[in-house]
Amino acid sequence: MSDVTLILQAVRRGDGQAAEELLPMVYNELRRLAAARMAQESAGQTLQATALVHEAWLRMVGDGNRSWQNRAHFFGAAAEAMRRILIENARRKSRLKRGGGQVRLNIEELELAATTPDDKVLLIDEALARLQVEDPQIARVVTMKYFGGMTNQEAAESLGVTERTVERQWAYAKAWLFRDIRSPG
Amino acid sequence: MNAETQREEVLFDSARNLKDPLQRQAFLELACAQEPELRAKIEALLAAEPDAEIFFTESTSALKSAVENSSSAPASHPADGNPLTDEQVGTCVGPYKLLQKIGEGGCGVVYMAEQEKPIRRRVALKIIKLGMDTKNVIARFEAERQALAMMDHPNIARVFDAGALETGRPYFVMELVRGVKITDYCDANRLDTRRRLGLFVQVCNAIQQAHQKGVIHRDIKPSNVLVTLHDGVPVPKVIDFGIAKATGARLTDKTFFTAYEQIVGTPAYMSPEQAEMSGLDVDTRSDIYSLGVLLYELLTGRTPFDPKKLLQHGVDAMRRTLREQEPQRPSTMLTTLKGEELATTAEHHHLELLKLISLLRGDLDWIVMKALEKDRTRRYETANGLAMDISRYLNDEPVVARPPSRLYRFQKLVSRNKIVFAASGAVAVALIIGLSVSTRLFFMEKAAHQRAVAAEQQAELARAMEAQLRRLAETREKITQATVLLNQEKFDDADQLMSQVSVTQPMVEGAAVFRSLGEYYALQNQWQEAASRFNVLLQIDQLDGWDVCTLDYLKCGPALIELGDVDGYEHFRQAAIARFTGGTYPFADRIVKISLLLPASKKLMKTLEPLADVTAQSFSTNADVNADIFLAAWRSVSLALIEYRRGNYVKAADWCERCLNYPEHIAPRTATARVILAMSDQQLGKTGEARSELVQAREMIGNKFKSRLERGTPMQGFWFDWVFARILLNEATALIEGNPQTIQLR
Repeated sequence: MSDVTLILQAVRRGDGQAAEELLPMVYNELRRLAAARMAQESAGQTLQATALVHEAWLRMVGDGNRSWQNRAHFFGAAAEAMRRILIENARRKSRLKRGGGQVRLNIEELELAATTPDDKVLLIDEALARLQVEDPQIARVVTMKYFGGMTNQEAAESLGVTERTVERQWAYAKAWLFRDIRSPG
Repeated sequence: MNAETQREEVLFDSARNLKDPLQRQAFLELACAQEPELRAKIEALLAAEPDAEIFFTESTSALKSAVENSSSAPASHPADGNPLTDEQVGTCVGPYKLLQKIGEGGCGVVYMAEQEKPIRRRVALKIIKLGMDTKNVIARFEAERQALAMMDHPNIARVFDAGALETGRPYFVMELVRGVKITDYCDANRLDTRRRLGLFVQVCNAIQQAHQKGVIHRDIKPSNVLVTLHDGVPVPKVIDFGIAKATGARLTDKTFFTAYEQIVGTPAYMSPEQAEMSGLDVDTRSDIYSLGVLLYELLTGRTPFDPKKLLQHGVDAMRRTLREQEPQRPSTMLTTLKGEELATTAEHHHLELLKLISLLRGDLDWIVMKALEKDRTRRYETANGLAMDISRYLNDEPVVARPPSRLYRFQKLVSRNKIVFAASGAVAVALIIGLSVSTRLFFMEKAAHQRAVAAEQQAELARAMEAQLRRLAETREKITQATVLLNQEKFDDADQLMSQVSVTQPMVEGAAVFRSLGEYYALQNQWQEAASRFNVLLQIDQLDGWDVCTLDYLKCGPALIELGDVDGYEHFRQAAIARFTGGTYPFADRIVKISLLLPASKKLMKTLEPLADVTAQSFSTNADVNADIFLAAWRSVSLALIEYRRGNYVKAADWCERCLNYPEHIAPRTATARVILAMSDQQLGKTGEARSELVQAREMIGNKFKSRLERGTPMQGFWFDWVFARILLNEATALIEGNPQTIQLR
């Protein structure tokens, strides 16, 4: 039995320590996979978050493990890990483009329409932090759908809610986040 | 969950589902009766929604490429992802005025547009949505433009042009096709299987023609095969030729994922080798696979793999499925359909489901499965092969796809000759299969024996014909492949391929291949190889026009002389004269000229008279042709040469002067006229003039051969015009200066 499977079982028993261990493991595996994939693929190839997450699942846990709780915990952690990877990347690229140190994004300085996709991702993530304070569950939906590339069904399974709820919350979250990004201060 | 946000979220959701603004107002009024703040917030969220959608969509390109190598091209471009809004209708894109948005797909938006110049016509203009390297897209399109321009087929929509918007997004201009997806057309009109197959065969023929021109479609799917009605007759049209190639691998990659979370069906039509996305290894057989998927869908209403399931476990799982998993046979697929699906499919085919299943079981199953082979070497070699097999099915003939058991062949024979076999069916079956002892007794019966022999002979004949057809199909396939290789300038590979087949039948594509190969070798001074390719060419170029095939003679003649094959040249010119004598062919002057590159016997001169007469007459009778200075000047050279060979030096010199007096000069033609003039002057005793002409001609020709020969154009002269001039120059040098001081080829 793999380490991850053991940890997932511990998480199911309500072991808080185990939940904390899960994230870095998944994070490292995803980083490693992304790097390995990139080395194989020709330049210009894009990789899908959802594909990476599924591949990580197969590698770390295996397809034989059909416990939905395990899947739910794993995918929850993977979506969060994916968010971190994507944000690191967007930061790096955004910095590269500006040719210097870290720039705190301020919407007043930037024309929204002219913002690069990378900056948009960073703006969304900043707003997501504020949504997290308001409503952690909706923030989790955003992490799974947006950064984890999960389908409504996968997110619903992972969160233990209906697909319809995920759909509703995701629609609300997009409008909320965008309004937050656009509002001054 | 936060109670306040939950309430907001529920209200927002209810309100956004009310599309009527008045209803929405009324709802909010009621729901937020005492809470103006809440109402304002919900309204603000509703107002933000459309922009939010765009904002999120625009950001996703960064997510998709975030795991990319950071050294690769920047994933973002200011123009990326900005959805072209309808406001742009009415604006102009280059010379095209956008009239109306007519479609939107995974990779672009299509507009109906009007072109004013050079002709007024309506066109379809497709603007590529994704952030791509426009320069490369256009360069790839340019590389294929010539091949695309050559495609003139009633079932192919022409691609006219490509360009870039100011924002940098590439666009393509195509023939406007007003039609519906082939699958939708068939279902809406409840076409039966035969009529579906009839439409599909036309699609195959269109793809075959494109393959012969070296163009691979790469993205065959129902939305790229539209059906239009011409006088009530449905005509399928394949659109978007050359666009998948031009937009390249990135597009193929991105068509998997339109919006971030949504996966579209394109991978369902992809061949396993295409899904590997190595980008290098896709050839015409990949289109055959996609045709197989299309046929599958036309017959069953489903694609072999469910597009949704295909991608739900990621790209690698999809590749594995396409590479390893055998799809269900079409008839098996139908048996797995449930309830409503089942009824709909049967309804679409205008047939009871059980009948449909038994119709597909057997030949049609096999035809589809052969097109869908994972290993492309086991697929149909050509689109033509697939179409032919379907035609065989429609005619009750044995299909190639089926493993040829004797029983199977016999079944086909029976169904084709139902009346003959109806009487003696049982007897003949027994004989052919030749199983039981008791049936041997029937050999004693004379009538039965005769029938058996007749059946065997017929089967034998069918086998022989099948073998011949297969050889022909193989040859065609090799030629198609060679054409593709030549387009990629892989001359040696193409030559290697052609050495494996013997082409004896006249055939335009085959001629084109041998013409290219001959010229390739000629330009490298490999005359042995060049002459041998040209010799094949002259046997198979009958289907080309007179202009093209007389030029072929101008290529072959000099090659034989450069090779030093005097006997070969003698044989060549006799054959040329024989082929073109007996009619008033245009370009007779070319045959006259090429037959006199070396001095000729009296007998040959005599056989050449009719062609010489046709050439001379054109100056007195055909005012039209006479007005074409370009051709008239060339004809003067031919007449100068024949007069010189006849010994009429004054007349020869006259024709030379006439040629030189035409206003426009083609360099090798002028040089040739000067060489003949020099020889004529020498023969007339005007040695001073002769030397002066010779020096001028030698300078022109010598300069040309200082650098490598190029293929040339009509206005610059072709390589063979220059070689022709040089061969005559050597003759003139020997005549005038006594020592053959020849110009060496580089």
